[in-house]
Amino acid sequence: MFLEVCCLPAGPAAGQNGGVRSQYSIFRRGRKPAKKAKRWNLDPVENELIAALGADRVDSGGVALGLYSRDGSVTRGGRAGIVCFPESTEEVAACVSVAASHDRPFVARGAGTGLAGGAVPCDEPIVVVTTRMNKIHEVDVDRRLAWVGPGVVNLDLTQHLVGTGLHFAPDPSSQQSCTIGGNVANNSGGPHCLQDGVTSAHVLAVETVLPDGSVVVLGAEEGRAPGYDFRGAFIGGEGTLGIATRICVRLTEDPPEVATLLLDFAKVEDAAETVSAVIAAGIVPAALEIMDQRVVEAVEPFVQAGYPVDAAALLIVELDGLPGGVATEVEQVRDIGIGHGARTVRVAADEDERARIWKGRRSAFGAIAVIKPDYYLNDTVIPRTRLAEVLTRVYEVADERNLIVMNVFHAGDGNLHPLIVYDAREPGALENVLEAGEEIVRISVEAGGVLTGEHGIGLEKKRFMHMQFTDDDLDAQDRLRRTFDVRGLANPSKVLPTGASCGHVSSLSNPPADLWI
Amino acid sequence: MRAVERDGAAPDQDWYDAFDTCVGCLGCETACPSAVPYGYLINATRSAITSERRPPFKLLVGLRLLSWPRLLRWGSKAIAVVQRLGLLRRTGLLPDRIPFRSQRAKNPGSRNLRSGEPAEVVLFTGCVMDVWQPSVHAAVIDVLNAAGIAVERSGDAAGCCGALHEHAGLTDDAVSHALRVTAALSDGRPVLVDSAGCGAALKHYGRLLGSKAANEFSSRVYDIHEWCVDDSRVSSLVASVEGRTGRPTVVVQDPCHLRHDQKCHDSVRDLLRPIADLIELDDEGLCCGAGGAYQLLQPDLAQAARARKVASVHRAIRSESSVTLVSANPGCMLHLSGDSSLVARGVAIRHPMEVVADRLLGAGMRENVGRVASSLEVDLDGR
Repeated sequence: MFLEVCCLPAGPAAGQNGGVRSQYSIFRRGRKPAKKAKRWNLDPVENELIAALGADRVDSGGVALGLYSRDGSVTRGGRAGIVCFPESTEEVAACVSVAASHDRPFVARGAGTGLAGGAVPCDEPIVVVTTRMNKIHEVDVDRRLAWVGPGVVNLDLTQHLVGTGLHFAPDPSSQQSCTIGGNVANNSGGPHCLQDGVTSAHVLAVETVLPDGSVVVLGAEEGRAPGYDFRGAFIGGEGTLGIATRICVRLTEDPPEVATLLLDFAKVEDAAETVSAVIAAGIVPAALEIMDQRVVEAVEPFVQAGYPVDAAALLIVELDGLPGGVATEVEQVRDIGIGHGARTVRVAADEDERARIWKGRRSAFGAIAVIKPDYYLNDTVIPRTRLAEVLTRVYEVADERNLIVMNVFHAGDGNLHPLIVYDAREPGALENVLEAGEEIVRISVEAGGVLTGEHGIGLEKKRFMHMQFTDDDLDAQDRLRRTFDVRGLANPSKVLPTGASCGHVSSLSNPPADLWI
Repeated sequence: MRAVERDGAAPDQDWYDAFDTCVGCLGCETACPSAVPYGYLINATRSAITSERRPPFKLLVGLRLLSWPRLLRWGSKAIAVVQRLGLLRRTGLLPDRIPFRSQRAKNPGSRNLRSGEPAEVVLFTGCVMDVWQPSVHAAVIDVLNAAGIAVERSGDAAGCCGALHEHAGLTDDAVSHALRVTAALSDGRPVLVDSAGCGAALKHYGRLLGSKAANEFSSRVYDIHEWCVDDSRVSSLVASVEGRTGRPTVVVQDPCHLRHDQKCHDSVRDLLRPIADLIELDDEGLCCGAGGAYQLLQPDLAQAARARKVASVHRAIRSESSVTLVSANPGCMLHLSGDSSLVARGVAIRHPMEVVADRLLGAGMRENVGRVASSLEVDLDGR
């Protein structure tokens, strides 16, 4: 989930740990430069980019433009102009400067796993891909911080830290592929953000290339920079405020004791009530996740976690802390669960069982192709106390439209992820799905919730911004944006419902006007 | 693939170039929670595009050569001469020293002994492996013989498995190889394979040929480690030398076709565990970049992938000395041996069965093996 912004390894601090993770980067040297020589009649912008990066890291071929014109969302119709692969802060600054000097928009992109169209390029911009800025520059165990490139894959950082007793807390379900730059852009969450807080709580400073090409550091290693908290404003900016090129993350101590519980329920509502009751009892678990029966059926063959496939819903509860406290909380949660109708409560006996339970949760989205080839994943947040009622409505909306909806979500945060599966080749399927999606957003907002928990607004939810904000609210946000980006070149047409639209929804040959997002 | 199939993109040169960079490690299949059969889709796509664009000439020549075992043997002898004269650079494409004499020649007495009674199992000997790395087949035969199991070599009658042809999209060639192999080995005995790539191909004949006979054939194909671990005679023999001193330190490198395709990479560990101290890599089965013909066609990427794998090996072995790196696939062994830093550190690159054979022979089984071997090994061609 989590897309895009960001960027690179600069020279200076890149010492001790730089390059250690290189075995995880996908092949870095790829295209043969010779091929480029055949392409003439390059536009001047491309010429300047090639001068800055070299011909092998600037691509305007059909395949590249096709691949980099979409992300993990259903949004289609974007069109990349030129795709660049910078490897340093200076190179990102050079790309942005070229864009600025030609008044050309630019879009930062990480792993492209975003689910709201935040990295989908509008109006043939320069696409600045940060995946090669994947170095872990410095890990300071004593001060519990690390400087990383924006292209570092979230899970790679965690694996790199094994043995230090520390970890990077935000753990989006897509952590195997999403980048930390994208996490910053979307202020991403994850199952373990219930207790630890989302990305903004774990980023101390961000080295940023602003839309005019200048480089600044927002925030400070010590956590509190003088003056306004521009770091806070930047995180969650979805690439509209600049491109992060080096990120200073806070590292969190590994808990001394962890217990993972799996509770199964005959009714989804019972699982939802249990979540609310656990928090009400004063327990703040490390994670509280719900998966409904369809999700469980889809993932169990892959992970072999021993999930009870006849349960209407599974609730994963993870408790951590000091050994004595964890043991007490395990009993409390067990009692609350049974009191709310849990049929069984299983406590993971070892690390392997725990890993399997989590692998199932993390694989949920990838497993849906066993049901239908496409999915639309919504992301809203509602008050935790209204989970049961809103979930019931979500199932009703899907039933009314003859759709299959699967629910797998961060229950503790009230962060819903209704996942509607469909086959894009069936005429009208996507329209039906999107209308259901809009209905779900409306229900969530009416229940006192918000438009998005962690996937961002991007292109997809821009049209819903009026549900949440008044014109004055939006105007204030637009003025903040203009403070960073006077000419509106950074990821234009995203987030705020102003300016021209570009993307539309996949496979629609004649999208109705209201479906353009 | 979807861009072309569903969204109507033209398969232009850019698209081909992008597609050609896939090494075919099938790590995507292991990772996919929806169990999408990427390998099948990729092969089908490659097959479909060969009519539009022929594979590179050097690949076609190379693949054609694999179908002519005699030519391959003579050609290899020629290369061996050139190598001895010091005229070839070390590349990882070829073994450092191609043997002059083939495996068949080394076992002159094997072809006519006890030919009236069929051996219990057939060892699939393939094409280049038999010529370039005969010590691997020899090790397998020694181990099985030591356990009292008679082995028949598939030899030229079965020939090449056709895996590389299929990966290149030359489906017709792959089918004709498959037909030849299944016809030559149709008598219902287990077929053991000591090359992960060939084993995977043989196991997929059912899907490739779509016939009942092919399915039956594929069902009795076993990776050598998989079979040995399940066979009580071999496993008890291996266990019998467990306590001996001088255990080798072994780094296990999983060939992609063993781990992601056949999914029996744990058998290698199970087989070696009693007799060796195992060191695991921390890269979760990342590809070494060999990829069959990939190292020939995409040398830059193949070397970049190898550098990554080698870095992982260095991390794993830290300060250990005299380490053996095992890989159950001849292509991976060759490719890795092309890296000078491993060689410089004295890391021996071997097949797991060679390590097993060494342990058994070193444990005093040599005479026993010598005696049984001459009576049990037979050769299809010799009949």
